[in-house]
Amino acid sequence: MDFEPRYTQEQEEFRQEVREWLKDNMPPDIVQPADPIDLTEEQYQKRRDLGRSLGSKGWLWPTADPQYGGGGLSLDHAVVIEEEMDTYGMSVPPYYDSGGRLGGASIMVWGTEEQKQQFLPPILKGEVRTWQLLSEPEAGSDLANVKTTAERDGDEYVINGQKIYVGSSLGCDMVWTLTRTDTEAPRHQNLGWFMIPSDLPGITIQPMDLLISGGEGGAGSGVKNTVFFDNVRVPATNLIGGENEGWKVATTHLELEHGTGGHIGRNWLVDRLFEYCKTTQRRGEPLTKDPDVRERLMDVYIEAEISRLFQLRNYWMRHSKANITYEGPQASYYRKVSGLRMSGAILDILGPSALTYDPERGAAEGHIEAHQRSAIVALHPGGTADIQKVIMARRIGIGREVRERAGELAS
Amino acid sequence: MDLSLTAEQEMLKSAVSRFIQQEYPKETLLEMAETGEVAPSQPWRKLVETGWLGIVVPEEYGGEGGTFTDAGVLFEELGRGPVPGPHISSSVMGTFAILEGGTEEQKRDWLPRLARGERSLVLAVTEADYSWWEEDVHLVAQPSGDGFQLNGAKVYVMDATSATHLLCAVRSEDGNTVGLVIISADAPGVSTRNLPGFAWHLAEIKLENVAVAGSDVLGGSLNGGWDALQRAIAKTIPIMGAFQTGASQMVYEMSVDYSRARMQFGTPIGRFQRVQDHIINLVNQLDAARWTNYEALWKLDNHRPVQDAVHLAKAVGSEAYYQACNFAHEVHAGLGSMTEYGLTLHTTASRTLYHYLGDPRFHRKRLADALGL
Repeated sequence: MDFEPRYTQEQEEFRQEVREWLKDNMPPDIVQPADPIDLTEEQYQKRRDLGRSLGSKGWLWPTADPQYGGGGLSLDHAVVIEEEMDTYGMSVPPYYDSGGRLGGASIMVWGTEEQKQQFLPPILKGEVRTWQLLSEPEAGSDLANVKTTAERDGDEYVINGQKIYVGSSLGCDMVWTLTRTDTEAPRHQNLGWFMIPSDLPGITIQPMDLLISGGEGGAGSGVKNTVFFDNVRVPATNLIGGENEGWKVATTHLELEHGTGGHIGRNWLVDRLFEYCKTTQRRGEPLTKDPDVRERLMDVYIEAEISRLFQLRNYWMRHSKANITYEGPQASYYRKVSGLRMSGAILDILGPSALTYDPERGAAEGHIEAHQRSAIVALHPGGTADIQKVIMARRIGIGREVRERAGELAS
Repeated sequence: MDLSLTAEQEMLKSAVSRFIQQEYPKETLLEMAETGEVAPSQPWRKLVETGWLGIVVPEEYGGEGGTFTDAGVLFEELGRGPVPGPHISSSVMGTFAILEGGTEEQKRDWLPRLARGERSLVLAVTEADYSWWEEDVHLVAQPSGDGFQLNGAKVYVMDATSATHLLCAVRSEDGNTVGLVIISADAPGVSTRNLPGFAWHLAEIKLENVAVAGSDVLGGSLNGGWDALQRAIAKTIPIMGAFQTGASQMVYEMSVDYSRARMQFGTPIGRFQRVQDHIINLVNQLDAARWTNYEALWKLDNHRPVQDAVHLAKAVGSEAYYQACNFAHEVHAGLGSMTEYGLTLHTTASRTLYHYLGDPRFHRKRLADALGL
């Protein structure tokens, strides 16, 4: 076993190359707001510029197929890029984009050659940023119950309906979505999966007011939106996987969203919390000397370590093509519920200073306060904690002889 | 990065698995639990003959010279039994104590014999007021001749009744030092009795005018003994954690099988989400134990700083096995408490291992220290 990437001489040289390149290309004045909603248009555009520069080198999606704009690099090279970006507090990509991570993965498995050539290079090179549009008012945990319709009309589909809790702030270039292509056919055999330019007539985006916007990787997603489709005409060639085959297409990105992608990296919240407790005095002593605080800090640390190891295992399983069953939703479930338990421990330790981002009376530049809110909101995106347990039970085969298979990923 | 086992480790795993199925069927394990007769016994002798129990003994001392991860693979399979006997307490704990604290002469004397199973050396630290902190070791080593004399007791000692020798933690006469001495389990003045009830091979050892030769003081002096013991315990914990992982895996498989087979209300009980919750909680505990332990084993194999990882592994691994058994009992209801079904073999082991080498609460305190808080 080996819990770390092993770097060859060539990979260490690659690290030097990445490091030098980042020194020249990283915008100097990137800031990381505690609440993603505070990300400005100017800051967002800096990240997009960086994304395009990374994309032109094949470093934005390093392991993706180079014939569609990916880097064609090994897992270890990808880890090098992630580690070097991490030294700037940045992820790859440096902004929220569910196209490369999720939607693109579905197109890779289910798209025709023409569709791959059309849709993948702009995503993988960072030229377009895409949102996923899945949930609806009547289709949350029961995603297959979407009511948005796509009706065939000549060479086009006409889309009508409403999506909710989607996207981010500061706009996007493309969206991908799940609709009904047949109003009569049985469940799971009545759906169509579309890739849609976001500037088509009839699309209206309305920001929502939520407790906090979840940060789904990168610079955080900013706000969530309701998106309305009003007779939006989409070319039939934008339907991926065929009419009434949309559920199959969705299983690929749902598999990844349910935690199967995994990731590697440290938990900045724990570092910030430890630092705060070491440097903050109570009764003339650092907080870390209080036995109650130490006990609760260990609750937080142990939960974070277990979550890290589940993500690390999934990262390895995915990239080594190991046979994944329940591990994806397990990591997702654990991250969600342990996040909420950790926020409880932090509230115990810090008291009400955890509840304000006031520069004088709050803690850790507002990151602690933001976590108190995001720990709640993060329970639900990509399937609620309870839905993750339902999927785990099917994959394990609890009470059933035939175990449900995981969604298909690109080989 | 590669979290898979090597081909050799996979081979070891299946060989041990076959051996356990053949030599330690449920009936044998139940009988051992009933009588307390563990080692020597027919299956134990066969286990010793395989040479596997010498896995952490270096080759130069007649052992297999395996890696920590190799040992983890072996003990994960032993945990599935759960196979009783002085393996964790002697083959691992005793071996590391000699390696960390012994003189060269003691290593040459002890390690080949431990590897061949001719002797076992079981750790005896805790006393009437149970604790794994140094300040709670009270048994005084009274100087006598070129060695010492012991009067007192060691209590809650795992595997003491199947040991040939005991490695006792003792305090110097001036009270300043805690070291380790070796005594024969059948030396004059030593009397050992198993503690009845829900304990897993825990015993009380009474010591009356027991003589310790100077050559049986670990490292030749009480000085440094406690530190050597701490280093040895750090190396033992993740291997014991692998045993707990394998045991939890077995308990998990039993529960999943039962969720499919048991019908109530006209459907397999695993169709009920309340039942599913127990199994999901169980597998989350199991995997947390698995990966914290294997990361600690990997760090030991690669000479990384490991103290925090060891405390994490013990805190998580011991909690996991304990909870896994609780969840399995929820799934199995009445059947789980019937001795002949076999689940209680694990439930019994899980409680004693929860405390062996320090309970989760103890290791959470040590973890905070190790993290520099």
